[in-house]
Amino acid sequence: MQLSPPDPSIVAHGADIAAALGAIVPDGVVADPAGLAAFDGDALTAYRQSPLVTVLPRTAEQVAAVLSYAGAHGVPIVPRGAGTSLSGGALPRADGILLSLTRMNRIKEIDLENRCVVTEPGVTNLGITRAVERHGFYYAPDPSSQIACTIGGNVAENSGGLHCLKYGLTTNNLLGVEMVLMSGATLRLGGKAPGAGGLDLLGIVAGSEGLLGVVVEATLRILPRPPATRTLLAAFASVPAAGQCVADIIAAGIVPAAMEFMDRGCIAAVEAHCASGYPHDAEGALLIDADGIAAEVDHAIARIGAIARAAGASVREACGEAERTRLWAGRKAAFPAMGRLAPDMLCMDGTIPRGKLPQVLTRMAAMAKDYRLGFCNVFHAGDGNLHPLIVFDAMVPGELDRAEAFGADILRLCVEVGGVLTGEHGVGVEKRDLMPAMFTDADLEQQQRLKCAFDSGGLLNPGKVFPILSACIEQGHMHVKDGRVPYPNLPRF
Amino acid sequence: MPTHVASSENDVIEAVQQAREWRSPLEIVGAGTKQAFGRAVVTMGSVLDVSGLTGIVSYQPEELILTAAPGTPVAEIAAALAQKGQRLGFDPPDWGPLLGRAPGLGTIGGAISCDLAGPARLRCGAVRDHLLGFRGVNGLGEAFKAGGKVVKNVTGFDLPKLVCGAFGTLCVLTEVTLRVFPKPPLSATLTVRGLSNAEGFALLRRVWSSPLDATGLAFGNGNALIRLEGEKEPLAEKCALLRTLLGRDAQEVPEGEIAFRALADGTVFDDTPFDVWRAYLPPASAAAVADAIDSPLWLADWAGGLLWIATLPGSDAVRAVVGRAGGHCVLLRAAEETRERLAVFEPQDDTRLAITRSVKAAFDPLGLFNPGRMWDGV
Repeated sequence: MQLSPPDPSIVAHGADIAAALGAIVPDGVVADPAGLAAFDGDALTAYRQSPLVTVLPRTAEQVAAVLSYAGAHGVPIVPRGAGTSLSGGALPRADGILLSLTRMNRIKEIDLENRCVVTEPGVTNLGITRAVERHGFYYAPDPSSQIACTIGGNVAENSGGLHCLKYGLTTNNLLGVEMVLMSGATLRLGGKAPGAGGLDLLGIVAGSEGLLGVVVEATLRILPRPPATRTLLAAFASVPAAGQCVADIIAAGIVPAAMEFMDRGCIAAVEAHCASGYPHDAEGALLIDADGIAAEVDHAIARIGAIARAAGASVREACGEAERTRLWAGRKAAFPAMGRLAPDMLCMDGTIPRGKLPQVLTRMAAMAKDYRLGFCNVFHAGDGNLHPLIVFDAMVPGELDRAEAFGADILRLCVEVGGVLTGEHGVGVEKRDLMPAMFTDADLEQQQRLKCAFDSGGLLNPGKVFPILSACIEQGHMHVKDGRVPYPNLPRF
Repeated sequence: MPTHVASSENDVIEAVQQAREWRSPLEIVGAGTKQAFGRAVVTMGSVLDVSGLTGIVSYQPEELILTAAPGTPVAEIAAALAQKGQRLGFDPPDWGPLLGRAPGLGTIGGAISCDLAGPARLRCGAVRDHLLGFRGVNGLGEAFKAGGKVVKNVTGFDLPKLVCGAFGTLCVLTEVTLRVFPKPPLSATLTVRGLSNAEGFALLRRVWSSPLDATGLAFGNGNALIRLEGEKEPLAEKCALLRTLLGRDAQEVPEGEIAFRALADGTVFDDTPFDVWRAYLPPASAAAVADAIDSPLWLADWAGGLLWIATLPGSDAVRAVVGRAGGHCVLLRAAEETRERLAVFEPQDDTRLAITRSVKAAFDPLGLFNPGRMWDGV
């Protein structure tokens, strides 16, 4: 993946831009190289780029002033939460302002009567649950980075987590937002009532990867904590048997709270890392949660256990909360556990129809041989969301390229079997150039025209999601400032 | 008006291209059961009849996914799902009779375009939470697709959300992919009678905030109705837990499913002379709104998140009351003149109106599709 070259005419005005931002947020501008290094990327570690300047506003008014300034002067903006994106969604630009929302970290209102929380974007995902758990509630989307990742980032990426199958992604738990547009105007969508009225603009803001506007407030649905949760670990002698078991559970009308698959390589890595008690000799294992009221959970666990045994699994139930926690800690540590095996790692994120699991796993193993790279598989089996982890050493010439090519082949395979490029990590820069594998030109142009409806100058998070920066010219929206189009050095069509 | 009858995506492309050439708008019609919902389409153009785009394209129960042509009747889809013990989670109502048409004819494309959802929306989400992907034809006459055919997908903008409740103003749907839900084998409906508005809505919210996962929480005429679902023993425990939670007896009513179907369909309003509004509210404000409105007949659904309100014809006094409570309204049934004058959908502020118009233009730059159906110019 090639980053587009910075616009030298913007870079040359770095000091002026920093001074202008300093007038808006007096104590919140970082412009020195050492300070900027702290903002030089996100959790897609293969790409590093310091921004031209970072600004850390405390209020929605400051965000609006920053966007107005950037819009008037044609300076790109990259919004950033905690910087935990796995797709490079918050990767800065050398010719752009990095807009960090982490100082807007107040929960504005906890409204138990309407079962919602109104929050600023810089509050962490887990911070929402922490704020309401003593009242018996929680916030359902739970990406693995939930200790650090922010609600603003969750909305931008439409983050998921382990419990999506039953409880949905961010978009299904988001009631409203207030967002600042590139013009500096504030758009209010939804609130505490069901539905936002009119066109479902809230629906496209969720998952828009920072391309449409900057969320300065979100209203989130909270759920009552289920009184009972039980966990089963099912070990399989073959991967297809595990895949069949998943299909059988879903077909039986059971919606587990979570259903995670790990292959032999992943089990071995996790056991070496934190000894969670997974079966060493299995080709694959499923970790399955059922939650709800006690009788409902007992019923589901009995049926899931019977289905798994019929599929040839050896099944055991986590005995008590301590073992439950240990089994889940192993799953959640899959990423760091794999990190022990090699210096670098790529985490892929395709989704496939659940029935294609055995076929896809077999073909991925063959690809890994061709690319001479190690990998293992964790998989949100309930919703068909694959997370192959490719391990490599970026210091070995050619390995990063090989790892990226392997990853791209996996994602093309996902599309080929009827799936998609990304289930929850977003397109960002990582999968940008693969978009044509899934979408035709007409598909992509339709999405880009929507982008233009919100940001006709193409200044919000440019270079993300779409493989070619399409100027908003078809609609006569081409933004011309002082006689020059934005990014004069970029090819256009 | 001339009519194009489409039975394939290519037919739709042809009709749209001809409309572009002639700069002549299209009124998109499926079964026509909701033509009286929304503003009347302002057109001297043609009708694009998409009721011939029918049939379930694929249905894989173990994947919880169904793909269909948009002209497929909801009833046909519901029957196919029921055979496999599944259902549409958004619980689509049938507003045919309420809007003066026959029952049972509404299409899945119409349900999506008009944002239809019944009592189970409370637990399972709106139609926008179920539409995973679609194919359609935009106002440039180009076929395009969006979303996917898997339950978890964040690849590109989530355009499927946007076509839900867009009343056909953005594109012509040609194929839709929905997630479906397992249907619990049993349900029980319990009632508590003789409650004030404040008591009734407080009771509903208490159940809504409990882990009982109620799929129906309705209130009207002093009676609360609570629907619980599950397998035999779990359902029995849920009923017992409900009685403990309420601290009083709740009687099981045998005709509960019929009552919730009637609530979904607004049946009680069918043969009345009133205008019918749907008010979407923060649930905790429902009692105050119910006390404040001047209505001969109202019913609450979604734990107070939705009020069905009948009003004397021609008045929009209810809109201000609902707006002050943080909600918004849709005028579901009224004379054409009233819908024109009072606005069917919530009036938008300038920022939102400008974005709505830009979004419309991003799909349909010439304004060919259902012009004026939602607002002037949209």
